[in-house]
Amino acid sequence: MVTHLFKLIWNKKRTHTLLLVEIWASFMVLFGLMVLLIYNLGNYTEPLGFSYDNVWAVNLGNNEDTTGISSKVNRVLQRVKAYPEVESASRMSDNFPFSGYFNGMGVSYNNVTTQVERYVVDDQFAKTLAIPVAAGTWFRNADSIGTYQPLIINRKARERMFGSENPVGKVVSDYEGKKGIWRVIGVVDTFKGRGEFASDKPVMIELLRNSSVYDKTLIIRVKPGTNAQFEARLVHDVVALTNGWSVDVRYLTDSRASLHQQVVVPIVILSIVCGFLLINVALGLFGVLNLSITRRRSEIGLRRAIGATGSGVSTQFVGETWVLATFAILIGLLLAVQFPLLNVFDLQAGVYLTAMGVSVCIIYLIVTLCALFPSRQAALIQPAIALHEE
Amino acid sequence: MITNYIKIAWKVLMRHPVYTFITLFGISLTLTVLMVLTSFLDHLIGAHYPETKRDRSLYIERMNAYDSARSSMSSGQMSFRFLNKYTKSLRAPERVSIFSESISSNVYVGDHRIKIGIKFTDAAFWQVAEFNFLEGYPYNAQTIANGNRVAVITDGFKDQYFGRETASVLGKSIEIEGVQYRVIGVVRGSPASRSFTNADVYVPYTAPKSNYQSRDTRGNYTAILLAGNRDDLAALNAEFQVNISRVPLSEINAGFSVGILEVPSETYLNNYLNQITRGGGLTTAFYGAIAFIIFMLMGLPAINLVNLNLSRILERSSEIGVRKAFGAPVRTLLWQFIIENVFITFIGAAIALLFTALIIHAVNTSGWIAYADLAISAPVFLISVFITLLFGLLSGLLPAFRMSKLSIANALKA
Amino acid sequence: MIKLTNIEKVYRTSSIETLALNTINLHVAAGEFLSIMGPSGCGKSTLMNLMGLLDTPSKGTVEIAGQLVTQYRDKELAQLRNQQIGFIFQSFHLINDLSVLDNVEIPLLYRKGDPAGASRRAMAKEALEKVGLSNRMSHFPGQLSGGQKQRVAIARAIVGNPAIVLADEPTGNLDSVMGNEIMNILQQLNTDGSTIVMVTHDEAMAKKTHRLVRLFDGSMVGDAVLKSERVNE
Repeated sequence: MVTHLFKLIWNKKRTHTLLLVEIWASFMVLFGLMVLLIYNLGNYTEPLGFSYDNVWAVNLGNNEDTTGISSKVNRVLQRVKAYPEVESASRMSDNFPFSGYFNGMGVSYNNVTTQVERYVVDDQFAKTLAIPVAAGTWFRNADSIGTYQPLIINRKARERMFGSENPVGKVVSDYEGKKGIWRVIGVVDTFKGRGEFASDKPVMIELLRNSSVYDKTLIIRVKPGTNAQFEARLVHDVVALTNGWSVDVRYLTDSRASLHQQVVVPIVILSIVCGFLLINVALGLFGVLNLSITRRRSEIGLRRAIGATGSGVSTQFVGETWVLATFAILIGLLLAVQFPLLNVFDLQAGVYLTAMGVSVCIIYLIVTLCALFPSRQAALIQPAIALHEE
Repeated sequence: MITNYIKIAWKVLMRHPVYTFITLFGISLTLTVLMVLTSFLDHLIGAHYPETKRDRSLYIERMNAYDSARSSMSSGQMSFRFLNKYTKSLRAPERVSIFSESISSNVYVGDHRIKIGIKFTDAAFWQVAEFNFLEGYPYNAQTIANGNRVAVITDGFKDQYFGRETASVLGKSIEIEGVQYRVIGVVRGSPASRSFTNADVYVPYTAPKSNYQSRDTRGNYTAILLAGNRDDLAALNAEFQVNISRVPLSEINAGFSVGILEVPSETYLNNYLNQITRGGGLTTAFYGAIAFIIFMLMGLPAINLVNLNLSRILERSSEIGVRKAFGAPVRTLLWQFIIENVFITFIGAAIALLFTALIIHAVNTSGWIAYADLAISAPVFLISVFITLLFGLLSGLLPAFRMSKLSIANALKA
Repeated sequence: MIKLTNIEKVYRTSSIETLALNTINLHVAAGEFLSIMGPSGCGKSTLMNLMGLLDTPSKGTVEIAGQLVTQYRDKELAQLRNQQIGFIFQSFHLINDLSVLDNVEIPLLYRKGDPAGASRRAMAKEALEKVGLSNRMSHFPGQLSGGQKQRVAIARAIVGNPAIVLADEPTGNLDSVMGNEIMNILQQLNTDGSTIVMVTHDEAMAKKTHRLVRLFDGSMVGDAVLKSERVNE
C-alpha cells in the first residue's frame, strides 16, 4: 500500500510542487530554530563555575585624571573591603562576569596555539565569586614574584592544550612570546564569564600586578539584604577618594538578565517567523487536500466499491500527505546534514542531529493534524452517489 | 450592480463557513504580520519624535582605521575634540551638534537606586532634535561656556526621582555620582530604540566626567550635521569628507600604523544598516535573506489562497455551467468572482487592522521598549491597503480565468 | 448467488419521499448472465447499488454468495465487495495518474492478507492477458481508446477472481464495434464461471445474455429467459 501511495504522489509531483516548497521552507526555518534552542539549552546545562548572587561590579573610570591611577584604585579597594556590609572584594579587568566584554588572545604550548578568553584578577577573586579549584591551587599574592607569572586555566583549556597530561607546573607563552610567560598553578572546572548560554571555551586567568593602570573594575560580594542606601554611601565615598572619576555600580544579577535578553530575543523572533510559516503550511495543506478530494470524488467512490472501508479512505489521504511531507523533508535533510558534515559554526554534531530529529517529528505532527479533517470528509463520501455523478 | 455582487458574495461565503473561516484566517494573519512589521520598520527608520529632522541629517558615528594592506582594522567612536576640529569649519550645515552616547550610571534617592543614561551634549543638540519641553528650557551656548551645572531631565526620570505628584521641579537639584545639577528643563522621553537621542538626563559637555577635553582621537561622541534641506545632503557629505581627507594619519591611535581612515557621514538608514552588517561582507547574504523572508511572508499565503479559491470554484462549476448555458457573459462571471475575492480580502484587512492596533498597543504599554510610540501611520495603512488589493486580485484572477475557460459541457458534467 | 427478497427502497429528503424500488424479489443463480433493462428513473441504478452492497434497502434482505448482509457493518461489507464482487462502470473510473498495471492491481491492495508485491503483479498481468492488453501495461489511461479503457476496467474487476461481476452500462460510451468486443469478453468470463449482472439500454447487447429482467417505476415487469445457447461472434 505504501508503494502505491508513493507512486500516486510521484506521478502527480508537478501539481504538488508549491506545497512541497512550503513544507521544505518551514522545515528549514524550524531546523534553524531547533539548532538555536538546543545549542542554548545544551550550554545552559553546563555550570557557570561561580556564584553571582549579591555580587556587584564597581566600574571605575579615571576620565581625565592620569596621575597615580593604580594607587588610587588600590586605595578604593581597601576602603571597600573595610565596610561591614562587604564580605569580600576583588579587583579585575573590565570584562567582569556578564559584562558582555570579551578579551581574547592566543597562547601556545608545545608549538600549538590555542585561542583563550583572558581574565586578569587578584588573589581574592576566587573567594569573592566562590570559584572552586579542581586541581592545583589558586593565586597567593606571593606568587607574583618569580620568573614566571602564575596562571589558572579551565578544564576546556587543559583538554585542548595538554590533553591528558597534568598541566600544573607546565609553562606556556603567548604566541609571539611578547606578552608574557606563565606557569600553570591551578585548574578550575568551568568559568563561563559570558553567561550560561555561552559555550564552554578555553579560559585563562592571570594574576594582576598591583601597579597595573588598567583593571579598574572591583567585584564585591555584599551581605544579603544590603540595599541601595549602602550603594549610595559607597559611591559617595569613592567619589570623595578620587578626583573626577566615574563610578558605575552594576548588580551581576541585572547584567546577567540583559545578557540573557540577547539570546532570548532572536529566539523569540525566529519562533514567531516559524509559527507563521507553519500556520501557512497548515492552511495550504488544508486547501490543497480539500481541492484534491473534491476533484477525486469518483476515485474515492471507486475505491469504496472495490473494497476500501471508510477509514481506509481517510488513512489513504493522510498517507498521501505523509508521502508529500516525506519528499519535502528528505530534501530538507539533504541540506541540513551539510551543517554537521561541514562543521559549520563549530557546533557539535549532536546538536544538529537532535535538531533534525525534532524538526522532522514536528512537521509530521502538523501535517497529520491538518490532513485529519479533510480526510474524514473524504471517508463520508457515499460511493453510490460519487460513482453515478460522473 | 456592485451591491448586487456583494450580496451574492456574502451568501456564497456563508454556504461553506469552515472554508470561509480558513480563508479569512489566512488573510488576516498575513496582513497583521505585514502591518505590524511595517509599523516596526517605520518606528525604527522613520522620522519620529524627537528625531523628526532625520531626512536632512547626516550622522558621523564611527571611525574605521585600517593599515595600508587592510589586514588590521580598528573601529570605534570619536572624541569630542576630534569631531569638533573637523566639523567646526564646515560651511554647508545649518547646525552641527556633538554629543556623547548615553552613558550608564546610577542615581540614589531615599533607599532607591535609579539606573539612568546620561548624555553630554552641546547647545545645538536641542535644535538638531525636536524635543517637547513639558517644563523649562534647554541650556544654551552661554550656559555651557559658563560651565554651569544644569540638567534637562525626562518626564520618566522626573517621576522616579521626585515622585509623580510633584508639580514643577525647575530649580530643584539632582545628584549624579557626587555631582550636583540644577534642573532647568523637563522633556518627554525619547524611545529607547532611538539611540542618538535617548537618555534620562542631558547635561552640557562641560560638566564633570564628560572627557570632552581628551586629546585622544577616540572617545564616545557622535556628531550630527543638519542640512537646510534634503537636497543639500550630498554637498554636505562631500565637504565633510574633504576635511577628513586632511586628517594626519599619524594622529590616529589604533595599535598599528594607520594607512587608511574612513569616517562616514551617512544618512540614518545607511548608518543603521551598517551597524547591523558591520561593513560589507554580509550585505548580499543579508539582502538575500530579506528577499527570501519577504517572499515567504507574502508568497506562501498567496499560494494558499489561490488553492483555496480553486477548490471553491470547482465546487461551483455546475452553477457556472448553468449560468453560462443561460447566456451569462464570461465577463460578468469573472467580475462576480473577483468582487467576491476582494470582498473577503477587505474583511480580512479590517480584522487585521484591529489585531494590529491591539498588538501595537500591547507593545507600547508593556515597557519592552521604553517610551515606545509605535503607530499605524498613514503610510503604513495605505501600503497595507494596497497590498490587500493586490492579494485579492491576484488570488482571484488565476482561478477566475480557469473558470471562464471551462466549457459549458464540462462544467455541467463535473 | 444473489438473492434479493422483498426489497423496498425509499429515498427521503426533508419534504419528499420517493419510492425507488417496490417489493423486488430477484434470485440470480451462480453462472447466470443477467441483463436488466428499463427507462431512465425506473430504479436500475438503485437495484445495482443494492446488489453491489453500495446501498442498503429500506425493507427486505440481501444475500450475496450465501451470506446474509443485513447486519453487516461497513468493514464487513467492504470485505465482501472486495472478495466476491467486481464492478464495471459506464465511465470506466480509471485513475489517470496510475499506469494500467497499477490500476488493475488496486483491488488486491485492499484484500485481507494483502498478497505480496510479486504475486500481485503476476495476477494483474494474468487479468490483462485475459482482456488482451498485455502490451499496454505501462501505459496511462490518457493514452488509451475508450474500448481499451473499458478492457482495463474489466481486468481490474476480475483480477481478484470474484464470483460476481456487476456491469453498469458497460458499452454505453463505446461505439458498436468496441461494444461487441466488450460483450465477447464478458461472455468469455461467463463461460469461465462468473455470474454477471448487466444493466443496459441496448437491446442487441441484452439479447446476448441468458436472462432479461425489465424494470418500470420501481417494479419488475418482466423476467424472461432467452435462448440458452450463446451466439459467438
